[in-house]
Amino acid sequence: MKSPFHFLHPASDGQRIHELKRLSLFKTLTARQLRELDELLHERSYQKDEIVFDEGDVGLGLFIVVSGRVRLTSSLPALQQLAPEFGPGDFFGELGLFEEMERTARMVALEPTEVMALFRTEFFSLLERDQSIGVKILFELARMVVLRSRKLLTLRPHLPTV
Amino acid sequence: MKQRNEPEPGVFNWLVIMAATCLLLYLFQKILWLVIPALLALMVYYCLQPLARALMRAGLQHGTAAKVLAGILALATALAVLLALAVVASHASSWQTMTGRYVQGGLDFLRKTESWLGDKMPMLRNSAFLRSSPTNLNAMGEQFTDKYLGLALMEMAHWLPSLLLIPYLAYFFLRDGNRLKKRLIRSVPNAYFEKTLLLFERVDRSLQGFFIGLMKLTFLDTACLGLGLWLLGISFPLQLAFAAAVFSWVPYIGSAVGCVLVVLVAATDFPNQPAITYGCIVLFLLVRMLDDFIFMPMTIGRSLQIHPVLSVIMLFLGAAVAGAAGLLLVLPVMGVVAVIAGSLGQILTDARLRARFRHANQLKLRLAGLP
Repeated sequence: MKSPFHFLHPASDGQRIHELKRLSLFKTLTARQLRELDELLHERSYQKDEIVFDEGDVGLGLFIVVSGRVRLTSSLPALQQLAPEFGPGDFFGELGLFEEMERTARMVALEPTEVMALFRTEFFSLLERDQSIGVKILFELARMVVLRSRKLLTLRPHLPTV
Repeated sequence: MKQRNEPEPGVFNWLVIMAATCLLLYLFQKILWLVIPALLALMVYYCLQPLARALMRAGLQHGTAAKVLAGILALATALAVLLALAVVASHASSWQTMTGRYVQGGLDFLRKTESWLGDKMPMLRNSAFLRSSPTNLNAMGEQFTDKYLGLALMEMAHWLPSLLLIPYLAYFFLRDGNRLKKRLIRSVPNAYFEKTLLLFERVDRSLQGFFIGLMKLTFLDTACLGLGLWLLGISFPLQLAFAAAVFSWVPYIGSAVGCVLVVLVAATDFPNQPAITYGCIVLFLLVRMLDDFIFMPMTIGRSLQIHPVLSVIMLFLGAAVAGAAGLLLVLPVMGVVAVIAGSLGQILTDARLRARFRHANQLKLRLAGLP
């Protein structure tokens, strides 16, 4: 007997897991962990020139580009230089994952773009119930933040190093 | 960078929330056979969610974990319903006698209290209440058991089969709840996406806080009152305490009904020792105080965030609109409506989000080659 909610179930679980595994942020997760994470990811599609989020919006989560390109514009010139564009596999808005703060940049789709969003409270509930997934994602996030900080230092050499 | 504080709803917003709550209660009353099992299934869903996650951590897939838990729940519910039907069928006549005995015991206690009050305060002897004859009270007691107990048992038997819906609904909530939420969110325009996620999260958190808190509160109330009644030597202490704790799900009125229940049993068990019945009343009041000042903040806390005066007004409105079911449902329904209305108000009045939504629509029109 078919479930009354069968329309909610994706056609191919394996293909979806494979897609997620290709993303740098989730590359260390196992198939089971990816399945659990997939329950929390929200897919969004943006048209060319559509705003993903704006400078001054309250950040509620992180976005990962699946396909297409996204351009960053900010009133902070250093941010603009740091990563002007994001392509497949890149993620942005990561500070929104940690605190409810205003966004420091505007992100606009440069072409039809597919992204996945990970919402802060859902990520926190995941951290509470399965720390192993959380640790792997946080490690990848920390690695990327370190890379971006280093790049920022080379762009602004007068900034003190920590 | 600063964190944003969100504004409290104003008087007009509260009026809208109250009207929406009454409308929902009116609609719910029409499909109560579905609303009550769905509400209980939601309660079960929130309580089973941590177990489902534990099973998933142990290696089970999401669907399998939901099946295992719902299977256990279905078995337990079916057994409970069969057992309850058998007990109701075999004990209905003895319950009628027993209820009559307890009502009589309560009336005797009332009569003794009256005469004690009359002795201590002679001016009360002329009051209408103390002048009512004992035969009237006896007749009232007999009438109550004859008229209402049978009806109550019939009503109970009528409701039992629809309780079998609980595991069925809980299974689909466990298995597909998150996917359903994702589907709903997917249909929201991009401009409102993040705020809508926040709205869903708030509703989810309010309901989870309320239902899990209610379960914990019921357990604590049952344990404290049950222990006290057992120490006082009252019969069926645990069952009585559990019934009183469940009655107190209906704020204010439920507590009074629970207290009457305890008094009836205590007065019948110890007809010549009214001190024990007074002790039970004191115990009940102590547990209520513990409940209000310690247990409630520890469990449900301010999950519903409704002012006490508004709660009382809504209880009366809920009872007027949907009777006993209205009393039970009014506060949780209003809590959810308040969260939805507050968040929707913020989403729809945010000028930035509206501008972004218009911009996205213009892009769509341009893409379709329309002016």
